Amino acid sequence: MAGEEDKNKVMPPIAAGGPRKLDRRDVLKGLSTVPALGLFGYAWQQQRQYDQATLQATAAPAAAGDVQELNIALIGAGAQGQVLTDAMLRIPGLRFRAVCDVWTEYNLRRVVNILRRFKHEPNAYEDYREMLDKEKELDAVVIATPDFWHAPHTVECLKAGKHVYCEKEMSNTLEGARSMVAAARETGKLLQIGHQRRSNPRYLHCYEKLLNEAKLLGRIVTINGQWNRAVAADLGAPDRYAIPEERLKQYGFKNMHQFRNWRWYKGLGGGPIVDLGSHQIDIYTWFLGTNPSAVMASGGLLYYDPATHEWYDTVMVVYDYQTPQGPVKAYYQTQTTNGSQGYFENFMGDQGTLLISESELNYAGKIYRDPNAPAWDEWIQKGYISAPKLQELQSQEEKSGAIADVRESVSPDEHTVPVVLRDPYHQPHLQNFFDAVRGKAKLNCPPEVGYESAVSVLKVNEAIDAKSILAFKPEDFHI
Amino acid sequence: MATIFEVHTAHPDAQYAAQAAQAVFDLVDRLERELSRFLTNSDVARINGLAAGASTRVTPTTLECLVIARHLYDLTGGAFDVSIGTGLPLLELDPDGLVVRAREGGVRIDLGGIGKGYAVDLAAELLEEWDLGASLVHGGFSSVLVLEPPPALEGWALTLSDPAAPARLLARLSARQAALSASGLRKGDHIRDPRTGEAVRGRRAAWTLVPRPETAKADRAPREGPRMAAAAVADALTTAFMLLGLEEIESICAASPGLEAWVLPEAGADGSADLMHFAAPVEP
Ligand SMILES: NC(=O)c1ccc[n+]([C@@H]2O[C@H](COP(=O)([O-])OP(=O)(O)OC[C@H]3O[C@@H](n4cnc5c(N)ncnc54)[C@H](O)[C@@H]3O)[C@@H](O)[C@H]2O)c1
Repeated sequence: MAGEEDKNKVMPPIAAGGPRKLDRRDVLKGLSTVPALGLFGYAWQQQRQYDQATLQATAAPAAAGDVQELNIALIGAGAQGQVLTDAMLRIPGLRFRAVCDVWTEYNLRRVVNILRRFKHEPNAYEDYREMLDKEKELDAVVIATPDFWHAPHTVECLKAGKHVYCEKEMSNTLEGARSMVAAARETGKLLQIGHQRRSNPRYLHCYEKLLNEAKLLGRIVTINGQWNRAVAADLGAPDRYAIPEERLKQYGFKNMHQFRNWRWYKGLGGGPIVDLGSHQIDIYTWFLGTNPSAVMASGGLLYYDPATHEWYDTVMVVYDYQTPQGPVKAYYQTQTTNGSQGYFENFMGDQGTLLISESELNYAGKIYRDPNAPAWDEWIQKGYISAPKLQELQSQEEKSGAIADVRESVSPDEHTVPVVLRDPYHQPHLQNFFDAVRGKAKLNCPPEVGYESAVSVLKVNEAIDAKSILAFKPEDFHI
Repeated sequence: MATIFEVHTAHPDAQYAAQAAQAVFDLVDRLERELSRFLTNSDVARINGLAAGASTRVTPTTLECLVIARHLYDLTGGAFDVSIGTGLPLLELDPDGLVVRAREGGVRIDLGGIGKGYAVDLAAELLEEWDLGASLVHGGFSSVLVLEPPPALEGWALTLSDPAAPARLLARLSARQAALSASGLRKGDHIRDPRTGEAVRGRRAAWTLVPRPETAKADRAPREGPRMAAAAVADALTTAFMLLGLEEIESICAASPGLEAWVLPEAGADGSADLMHFAAPVEP
């Protein structure tokens, strides 16, 4: 308070004082006279010195040491590019040599700054061709551009002799996806598609141990899953960082709004089923061990403005699968107007239910034993699943001596899938890619797998328009 | 952060403002992924799992939040302690390598007492990046940061009220370029002193006002720290001021011109409690 002398006095009641004004000039006066003291010298520098003394003997966990160092570049430094960068900064033996993004004013600058803080010295590029021309030492390129750029970016990087990690969706068109598979085969370079659940330890555990080895669900007959998102404002950009129109056009965008909201535009993104559904439908197929045989779908633009939303905002899909154990129906929905229950996949068999999601917070892995299924003690002992959560109403019968306590039907035992991810969500999949580049692993999502997944989801867009059941032929998935 | 974040801003284009607010909410979500103690793959969860001698790499924002927390721990003699007595000094922070190392195992941190404020600080920077200089942003109403006031107003109108009797208004403020944070107890609540483990008596609520530094305003380019985070500091001090002695509060305020604190003691025998105010004397 300006001119306040008595610093420990009782405040008068409101009415007496009226609103107080905090004049900034007065408030800050004196600040500069007590620099590194008290609150305002919270002293990054001091902290640094303090820590350096104790840190000398400490080796950073990500110090390369005995791993072969790889020179890498990122194309597309947007939301996902930044998430991937955070994850890659935790992987030993990577050296960022270049970052390419057409939004030089904002995203490019931000990511280059972050990398510099981590002692990388990346060159910054607007044009990926120039980057490929100049950066001859690159071993691998990570691509996180809008979907319609995936095919050109991936194909040119592969042809320039780089291994590529490309975000999902592989491409917004099947032709694009095919050209990527072809380029990978021609060049013999590795191509990993960013369906990161394929490398997630919990999903791997469910697939290898719970489904394949222990067969805990018995025969899977139905699946349901969803990704629901709440209403959100369209993405925007700070006015001062707007991209000049000419540059936008050069890279295939009509204006800033389309540049930021490319997902909603035909020809740029593949629609919500591709954006959200493809992750999870990929899991349906992976866990069932076969591609779908038919699909029907209903979708529409129920809520948003068609002028800025060319794709549907809501879709409900049913896939048919023919597995060696018998037919399966798999439901999936995604809508963008209410986030109820978020995202998950729920596999239902005649002996149990597996409810999982990528999230470490919600649906992080529960498995329920049907009361008629054989005991799961062996798998509990092996540590594949947790002991069941005790049922509250357990044994009224025992206590009261009655034959049966009449109540709601018994709910199945609930077990937890005891595998959690400690690293950022995308780290294991990236790690798998870089291990493969070093010749120490097999890709978890090679282009052929990404292609099968693209075939399954892109068909949904056709089915919405056709308003009828569309069949897949087995050869649709081969290339 | 399991709480409500809100942005108020003055701008002729409502859609532009809504998009900026959306960018703020996305930022808060990202920070939550790094700082939540409940998420097994957050930076904080990994730190909490460190065995003796082990280390983990964290994001620049997590590290910065920890550095601020550590500084406030030192400044308040451990009254603000994100490790709640489990040994914050046992964590070594390396701002260059962005590494956190545990000298001993068993340190458990919870950034709940500072994370909201820190998120609000970063949100304010983002709003400035969007040229929304006339804005207010808050996390759960307890961490409020005001930038410039809307046109024709001298400040953002804020009130302090008694947490035990919300209808009882204690003070009205008009503020700009400052963070204001609150901590209070409702009936039946209690807090523990991390230094002793004892329940704290005698305080009903505390508020802290920290002015934003000029540099935060001047530099509008995308930044990656280090920063003087006014709302994070206000959050931490408010927590500390629920426990510190009045002389200690007074001396911290005296050493930090611009900082102001209000303390509402527990009601006396007659049921009344008067708000106390602390601030450094301002030189003429
Ligand atoms: N695996 C996942 O969980 C996941 C999550 C989110 C997004 N993604 C995928 O990541 C990709 C990017 O999504 P996003 O949300 O980050 O989008 P975004 O719009 O935030 O980022 C895209 C970035 O690419 C840049 N860009 C556009 N065209 C370019 C070009 N020709 N050359 C260089 N840079 C260009 C833009 O400037 C922007 O910075 C998409 O394919 C999306 O499907 C995957």
